[in-house]
Amino acid sequence: MRHLSLFALLLLCIIPRPASAQDGDSLCVGVKGFVDTYHAVRTEAPNDWMSSHSRVRGEVTLEKGNAGAFISANLVHDAILKEHSGFQLREVYAYYSDNHWDVRAGRQIITWGVADALRLTDIISPMDYTEFLAEDYDDIRIPVGGLRLRYSREKWNAEVVAVPVSSFFDLPTDAVNPWSIGPVPIGNEPARKACNMEYGGRLSFFLSGIDFSFSALHTWNKQPVLCNGVGEYRRMTMVGADVSVPVGKFVVRGEVAEYLDELQSGGARAASTNALVGLDWYAGNDWTLSAQYSHKNVAWGEHRDTGLSTLRLSKDLLHNTLSLQTFAYIDVTNGGVFNRLSADYALNDQLHAILGYDLFHADSGMFSVYKKNSELFVKLKYNF
Amino acid sequence: MKKILLFLAACMLAAGEVSGQQLSGRDVIQKVKDRPDGDTRYGEMELTLRKKNGSTRQRKVTSWAMDEGKDTKKMMFFTYPGDVKGTGFLTWDYDEIGKEDAKWLYLPAMKKTRRISGSSSKTDYFMGTDFTYDDMGQRHVDEDKHKLLREETRNNHKCWVVESVPVDKHEIYSRKVTWIRQDCLIADHVEYYDKLNKLHRVLDILEVKKIQGFWTILKMEMKNVQTEHSTTIVVKNSQYNVKADKALFTVAKLEKGL
Repeated sequence: MRHLSLFALLLLCIIPRPASAQDGDSLCVGVKGFVDTYHAVRTEAPNDWMSSHSRVRGEVTLEKGNAGAFISANLVHDAILKEHSGFQLREVYAYYSDNHWDVRAGRQIITWGVADALRLTDIISPMDYTEFLAEDYDDIRIPVGGLRLRYSREKWNAEVVAVPVSSFFDLPTDAVNPWSIGPVPIGNEPARKACNMEYGGRLSFFLSGIDFSFSALHTWNKQPVLCNGVGEYRRMTMVGADVSVPVGKFVVRGEVAEYLDELQSGGARAASTNALVGLDWYAGNDWTLSAQYSHKNVAWGEHRDTGLSTLRLSKDLLHNTLSLQTFAYIDVTNGGVFNRLSADYALNDQLHAILGYDLFHADSGMFSVYKKNSELFVKLKYNF
Repeated sequence: MKKILLFLAACMLAAGEVSGQQLSGRDVIQKVKDRPDGDTRYGEMELTLRKKNGSTRQRKVTSWAMDEGKDTKKMMFFTYPGDVKGTGFLTWDYDEIGKEDAKWLYLPAMKKTRRISGSSSKTDYFMGTDFTYDDMGQRHVDEDKHKLLREETRNNHKCWVVESVPVDKHEIYSRKVTWIRQDCLIADHVEYYDKLNKLHRVLDILEVKKIQGFWTILKMEMKNVQTEHSTTIVVKNSQYNVKADKALFTVAKLEKGL
């Protein structure tokens, strides 16, 4: 409650003042956020409510000179998952940034890689699967408590991260949740000890015709893996690289990540190779097409190869006031599909109305548990 | 006294030579491109989109630019409306024809920077306005064939009238005719014709002022005469030779934000 009061006080009392070229040592305060309400109904029997929640998101930046702080939090009312109602602190970090150095300490979302909505090297901040993937992808990321230090030059930067307080996937195991995967017992998360810290680094290059990065991370399997009926976490190391190459109206993306000593189902440990290739087509007239294929190969075991694809098609209309988009995950191995189709109309500068349909089609594989979860959703979002 | 007379005579001779030269359309456009605008620039733009029925939408953008030889680096952030606030574009514009510009887009909600195509968006409309990305930047002089049509006075300003036909047939206009003010080398009026040679869009520069010794556009309006949709851009807080170096135009700064 004390957090909530402080946050509300900050939001209510602060007068936003944008930074300008002249600002130097004066205190700059920036406030942004949104109020949204989201409701989804199952289109198959029993046609029950799948989601019904409203929230206020506030993001406050305080900056003086090269130093500052960022706070992001939600105030949520969830009519179905009542324990999710209340105050949720997302990111809280302090930073120092000059021409070359950038340090962030605190609870933050760290993103790596060039993949779109798929995670290969981007495995520091885990995912909140409370409503599976039927939320905006950026709402699903979970912050981690850590330190990020970055040194940047014109065409490259080097980044090191240390995460003493790891975060792990939130899985829907509560029977009340329509997105529940069942009562899966989850083992204890690793103790918060120095020896359990995650650490790693990334070296990135930004050149006129190509971007590429190399990364390494000593981490955990953030999504629990079933071992003797219990979800477990174990240490693993990721070594990866990514690349983006613009070619005319296209951008070709690639990403590879080797997970060394990754925990596999049943408790065995084995290396896995993860590779992704993607193509973005900026076709003009506000059409964008993006396709990706990601493949995972485990060094040994029963189900060694799995493939997952994504396809995104979007078109902006009516002077960018109407945005149509379809985004599909395709389980290549098992033939399942999860397709989110949406129309986003800006009623005015601040208010958006979004109507969409989530289609699940799968007889086996990762989407089969949700094969009766196809839903129609509506969302109203007021940005400030 | 003799020196002064000699100097005046030399000046008159030089002036006679200039007026006697026949400027080509390309010369005029090159003059416009070479108009001094400082090594670095800062500005805040308010874009108002107006529908035929009078309803309006607004966008606000803050931008920095820096020249590096003939190339230009630009950083731009959206500050309004809320759904795009914090979205940033970093562009390295290369003067060399055929060399693709380097572009990055930062999406604050995703906390992710994307490398985007350097060539595709040029003919797209910028954030739903009536300006294309190309209109917002600087075209290379030789991306069009220019022809000086005439000189005439428009809005009390002596102008060169230049017709420009794009070399690339995929451009959205078949030709444009520009009235360029001779006093400040800024367009006063531009007419864009579509592929059927029908008037498509009209740009009017409504306010020009000298700031820190540099001629600056403060207000302009682009109107699509076929749909009657228009966009007005008001430029505020323009500054030249601001404190900005290479370190500002990096992906790290794009992700850091305003």
